Amino acid sequence: MPAPSLAPFIRARPWLSKLVTPVANMYSNAAGYRQMGLRADDLISEENENVLTALKRLPAKESYDRIYRIRRATQLSLQHKLLPKAEWTKPEEDVPYLGPLLAQIEAEQKEVEQLDTLTVIKAH
Amino acid sequence: MISRSALSRGTQLALRSSGAAKIAQRGFAAAASEKASYEPTNIAGVKVAARDDGGPTTRLAIVAKAGTRYETLPGLTVGLEEFAFKNTTKRSALRITRESELLGGQLSAYHTREALVLQANFLRADLPYFAELLAEVISQTRYTTHEFREEVEGVIRYKQSKVDAAAIALDAAHSVAFHTGLGNPLYPTASTPIGPYLDESNVATYASAAYTKPNISVVADGASQAALSKWIEPFFKDVPSDSQVKLEQSASKYYGGEARIAKIGANAVVIGFPGASLGASQPEVAVLVGLLGGESNVKWSPGFSLLSKVAASAPGAHAHAANFAYSDAGLFTIQISGSAPHVRKAAEESVKALKSIAEGGVAQEDVVKAVAKARFNLLSLSETSGAGLVHAGANLISGGQPLQVAERLKALESVTGDKLKAAAKALLEGKASVASVGDLHVLPFAEELGLKV
Repeated sequence: MPAPSLAPFIRARPWLSKLVTPVANMYSNAAGYRQMGLRADDLISEENENVLTALKRLPAKESYDRIYRIRRATQLSLQHKLLPKAEWTKPEEDVPYLGPLLAQIEAEQKEVEQLDTLTVIKAH
Repeated sequence: MISRSALSRGTQLALRSSGAAKIAQRGFAAAASEKASYEPTNIAGVKVAARDDGGPTTRLAIVAKAGTRYETLPGLTVGLEEFAFKNTTKRSALRITRESELLGGQLSAYHTREALVLQANFLRADLPYFAELLAEVISQTRYTTHEFREEVEGVIRYKQSKVDAAAIALDAAHSVAFHTGLGNPLYPTASTPIGPYLDESNVATYASAAYTKPNISVVADGASQAALSKWIEPFFKDVPSDSQVKLEQSASKYYGGEARIAKIGANAVVIGFPGASLGASQPEVAVLVGLLGGESNVKWSPGFSLLSKVAASAPGAHAHAANFAYSDAGLFTIQISGSAPHVRKAAEESVKALKSIAEGGVAQEDVVKAVAKARFNLLSLSETSGAGLVHAGANLISGGQPLQVAERLKALESVTGDKLKAAAKALLEGKASVASVGDLHVLPFAEELGLKV
C-alpha cells in the first residue's frame, strides 16, 4: 500500500504545480541520492512481493543498470564520498522506471481482490 | 411393434418417461429431421458460417488461417495460441476468465496444421458478450513481455514435454511428405530450436498478419442468423482488413521419403501416402480408411477391420488408418504405436494388408462394411460440433464450399471393389512417406516393408 500522496492533487492544478515544482526540485537535489548517481525509483524498498515481481519484469538492460547504480552508490557510501559533479544524475535522467510497473502490479492485485469478493446478481 | 408384456419392467418404466414416449410415438416410417448444415454468409466483410438447431447452448469460434502451415517463423502458431484470452487493452486475462466463468462459458484455443481456433461455448443468451470477447481477443490483445515470460513460455515448455512418439512420427511423416508448409511440426518438440524465433514481438507481428478480415472466419453452431448479423457487425469492425505482414503461403507439393528418429521409451511408425484434400472428391480414400479402420467399433473386441486384424496378430501394437485432409493436399496414413517388436510386425502386416487390397483380395462384404463406415465417418464429422466446426471454418478461409454431405454420400455409394483396388495400387506405386520413431534397431526401414520412398 503506497503512502498517501498530494501529487495528483497538485498536478491537476497548473498554478499550484508551477508554484510547487521548484520547491520539489530543490528537495530532490537536497535529498542527496542524485549526488550518488541514483534515481528516485532505486530507493523503493525491495522487501515486498510486488516490488520483487516488478523487478523481474524489468527489461534486462534496465535491470543491469539499476544494479550498477546501486552497487556504485553502496561503494560511495562506504567511502564517504560523492560522485564527481559531472556524473550526478541529471533531473531529466531521473525518470520513474519501476513505478509504472509497480502501479500496474498493484492494479492487478486490486482487481484480483475485487473479483474474489464480488457479489453475483443473477440476470437470468 | 413389440408387445408390452415382452418388455422388461425397466424398459416399460423407461417408455413411460416423456423422452422415450416421444420416440415411441414417432412411427417407424417417419424420417428423423435432418441436422442443418453450416450456411455461409458474409457479415460486414467477415466470413460467417452458422447453423442453428435451436438448442440452449452455442459454440462460437474464430477459425483463423494461422496454423503451423502459415507460420513465418517456427513456433509462432503455438505462441499465438497460448496468447489467446490474455490481457487486452480493455480488460485483463483474469477478468476474461472470471467473467466467462460467471456466465458458465468455456473458452479454448487450439490449432491444426492449417487453422488456429479460438472457441467459446456458452448459453445462447450470452452471444453478445462472447462475440465481443472473441473480437477483442483477436484485435486488442497486448502481447506483453511479462505474460510471455511468466505464463506463455511455461505452458509451451510443458506441452512440449507431452509430445509423444506417435505425434513425433506423424510430424516427421508430414515433414518428409511436404517439406515446408504442411511439413512444419504441429507442436514443436523440446529439441526443436524455437528460442530465437518465439518472442512476444514476433507473435504480435504474426497476429497482425493472421487476424485480418480475409484471414478469419466466424463459425457459430447454435446461433441464429439474425443475432449474428446484429452482433458481429459492431464488434468486428475494429478487425483490420489488411496487413503489411504477409503469411507464409506456398502451394503444397508431395515429396515422400523416410525419416528415422531415435527415442527412448516409446515407438511409433507412420506410413503415409498422398491422400485426399478437403475439396477433392476421392471417395475411394474415405472408403479405404473405413476398410483399413483400426479403431474398434464395439466393446471388448479389437474389431473386424483389416488393421484390427493386424493389431490382433501383434498384440502390443495399435494401428489405425486416417486421412488428413488439407486445403490443397492430403496425407493418407497408417499410424502404428506400441512396443518396438510389435510395431515392426504390425507395420509389415499393414503393408501386406494394403497390398492384398491392391491385388483385389477384398471380399464384397468387407467393401460394403467399409462404405458404411465411411458414410458414418462423414455424417458424424458433419454433425459433431468439434471437428465439424473446424472443418467448416477451414473450408471458408481457404475459399472452398462447406461440406456437401449429400453429394459426398452419393460418391461413397459409387465405390466398388475395383475402384478400391485401383486406388490402393496407385498408393503403393507412388512414393510413400515413412517415419519411424523409437528403437531404431528394431523398427523397419521403408525398403524392408516393401515401400518406395
